[in-house]
Amino acid sequence: MIYVLYSIVSIICVYTARHYWFTLNRLFGFQRHPYIDIDTADWPRVTVLVAAHNEEKVIANILGALMTVKYPGDRMLVVPVNDRSTDRTREIIDEFVKRFPGRIRPFHRVTGKGGKAAALKDAMEMVETEVILIFDADYIPGSGLIKQLTAPFFDPEVGGVMGRVVPMNCGANLLTRLLDLERSGGYQVDQQARMNLHLVPQHGGTVAGVRLSALREIGGWNDRTLTEDTDLTYRLLLRGWKTVYQNRSECYEEVPETWQVRIKQIMRWAKGHNQAMVTYGLQLLFGQHRATLRERLDGALLLGVYIMAPFTMVGWVLALTVFYQGVAPLHGVLAILGVTAYATVGNMAAFFEIAAAVRLDGNCKRIRLLPFLILGFTVSIFAVSWAAFSQVKDALTGAEFHWDKTERYRKPAS
Amino acid sequence: MNPYLAVAALVVLCVVVFLLPLIPALVELEREEDGLALKVIQEHAGEIRYFADGFRNYIKALEPTLQECLVSGGTAKGRMPDGAEYLVLGRREEAPLLPLEQHDEICPVVLATRADLVLPSATTFSRDIYAGGGFIGGIENCYRAILGDKDVRLGRGSRVMRWVHAVGEFRADEGCQLYGRISSDSAIRLHTGCSFLRLNAPRIETGPATRTEDQGKRTSSRPLNLPRMLYDHDFQIGAGNEFVGDLVVRGRLRVGAGARVWGNVKSGGELIIERDVLVSGTLISATRMHIGLGCTIRGPVIAERELEMEAGTRCGSPECPTTVSAPNITSAEGVAVFGTLWAREHGQVVKKA
Repeated sequence: MIYVLYSIVSIICVYTARHYWFTLNRLFGFQRHPYIDIDTADWPRVTVLVAAHNEEKVIANILGALMTVKYPGDRMLVVPVNDRSTDRTREIIDEFVKRFPGRIRPFHRVTGKGGKAAALKDAMEMVETEVILIFDADYIPGSGLIKQLTAPFFDPEVGGVMGRVVPMNCGANLLTRLLDLERSGGYQVDQQARMNLHLVPQHGGTVAGVRLSALREIGGWNDRTLTEDTDLTYRLLLRGWKTVYQNRSECYEEVPETWQVRIKQIMRWAKGHNQAMVTYGLQLLFGQHRATLRERLDGALLLGVYIMAPFTMVGWVLALTVFYQGVAPLHGVLAILGVTAYATVGNMAAFFEIAAAVRLDGNCKRIRLLPFLILGFTVSIFAVSWAAFSQVKDALTGAEFHWDKTERYRKPAS
Repeated sequence: MNPYLAVAALVVLCVVVFLLPLIPALVELEREEDGLALKVIQEHAGEIRYFADGFRNYIKALEPTLQECLVSGGTAKGRMPDGAEYLVLGRREEAPLLPLEQHDEICPVVLATRADLVLPSATTFSRDIYAGGGFIGGIENCYRAILGDKDVRLGRGSRVMRWVHAVGEFRADEGCQLYGRISSDSAIRLHTGCSFLRLNAPRIETGPATRTEDQGKRTSSRPLNLPRMLYDHDFQIGAGNEFVGDLVVRGRLRVGAGARVWGNVKSGGELIIERDVLVSGTLISATRMHIGLGCTIRGPVIAERELEMEAGTRCGSPECPTTVSAPNITSAEGVAVFGTLWAREHGQVVKKA
């Protein structure tokens, strides 16, 4: 038992060190933005896929925004992927098709497997361009975003591109403010540090792009996964394609405003991520493929982020058990020193990362909300652990994954 | 001491210590002093002419005065709506009427004219300048910003702190330091010793004017459906060889003299392009790139650390403008870039080797 505890503590320490490495890199390291300066070029033709399932509240906003972006109109085709919507989504899309003839070609899907990946897979019949950009319907792209997300595809090594997601409803309540801080840490520090260090920036499946030839090479969209973005990241990596992150390609999104929706969202992410870990973990670490050593290690750590929650809970239980059994690991004194050191340095790691991210964003006073993150972390750790537990249960009982659509809060555009 | 009281005091103390960091958090939650969404810059999208367009709108208020002075040949002084002092000149030869009493003085007014503008030397112009006619600056001047509706020429050793936009040709004589954005709707020419950051024009050339042939049309467009070849170590394309396909090399890459590459090229290490090479697509190096004499690159050129371009290099074409970007760029005289030349940290024009 004590060795299991040692193992868990060791892995937690690795993640702690990683937090500090990433944060210090963002604060003091060389920052890579190699493609952001490409503002003049012979821009390629692109297809923008907008995934929409019952999105009557938000679909008009994104289609309207896409019609005003600075990209040659004859080289950009918008394909709203209307996935079996039962509300006014189809009607709104068709109105836009009439208003902007030739610039929007809708894909109305009325039957088929549920989920974004399955819808995107079916929509590929509409795609003829080498560059594909993907947005969820609740996002609002800025005028320069399409060029920024397309620019990295001039690099023949790039298979996928990911932009930065910025919550637009962050002031709604405590939850949205906490999610705003978490997103800040995740993108401003984690993703950009991975980009700087030539590690594995994660494809997020929205505000993102993928190269058609790379997608075909890896076998297209995988509709058997709950997180097609994580799945895509690893399949691209294993075939020698890079996913790059563009920190300055920012796009607004809506974050959940209720804890129930947030819990459902993070549970889906956790299940999809764990699924990718089981599918690609060993192959990534030990298989014969084109990923570098640092990509293998970072990729493996990235795959493990959600499984760390149940691991941590097991660690807590083991630590208490060991304590009440009267076992003094590492002669007692060393253990106390270790626990004390971790309490001061280790527990600070995630807070330090988010504080640095908020500061890099040029914000000041929202940093005062940092102590409340304990609340967010606590909810996440239990939700993610429950997701892992139910995933094992589903695997044993043969239950199918269930896709929960994230609720929208915006008032419909008039 | 009463043990119950001691326990109660301990509990209260613990609660206070636990709640202490939450006080600022609760204040922020209640007052929402920093609760707005992160400001995502969406308006200008990095548009190089953004400030020039803004200044053009700003001086619209001066339009009647500019026209009046042009017709009457007189000058006019006053204040802009934001309180900034302006001086409108009616004739080219009135530039000596600037509010300057001694050498090396700072000219603190917004300067505007519809006529040609010839400025004295060794002067700092701390406010923006608008010239409806041609603009000729004296030597070793320092400018904040210039908007010129015709050609703009800066004298030797001048400095620009923010931006210049010329509708006509922009020309900087030897040793100018161009810290901000320089754009032209026609052409930009930088002489030896000029340093620069961000340039944009249909045609950007370094060194003295020479008769150069537009080679853009000479390079036929690349084949479609190119295969991608990936090499994990160093790689070399031999001199005079032809390579068809997208090439990704994770080590160093050398492209031999006179080689033809029909596709995009990426190197994870140093990328050396020898003389007279043609690349029909993109050139990217994750570290340092050297482009030899007389090379032609059709697509974007990106070096993540350093880029050197030798004489005769041509990037992009009038029909297909492109971007050349690196933190540090050294360009010899005789280089032509069609589109954007962007040195994040430092760009320098040097004499031919």
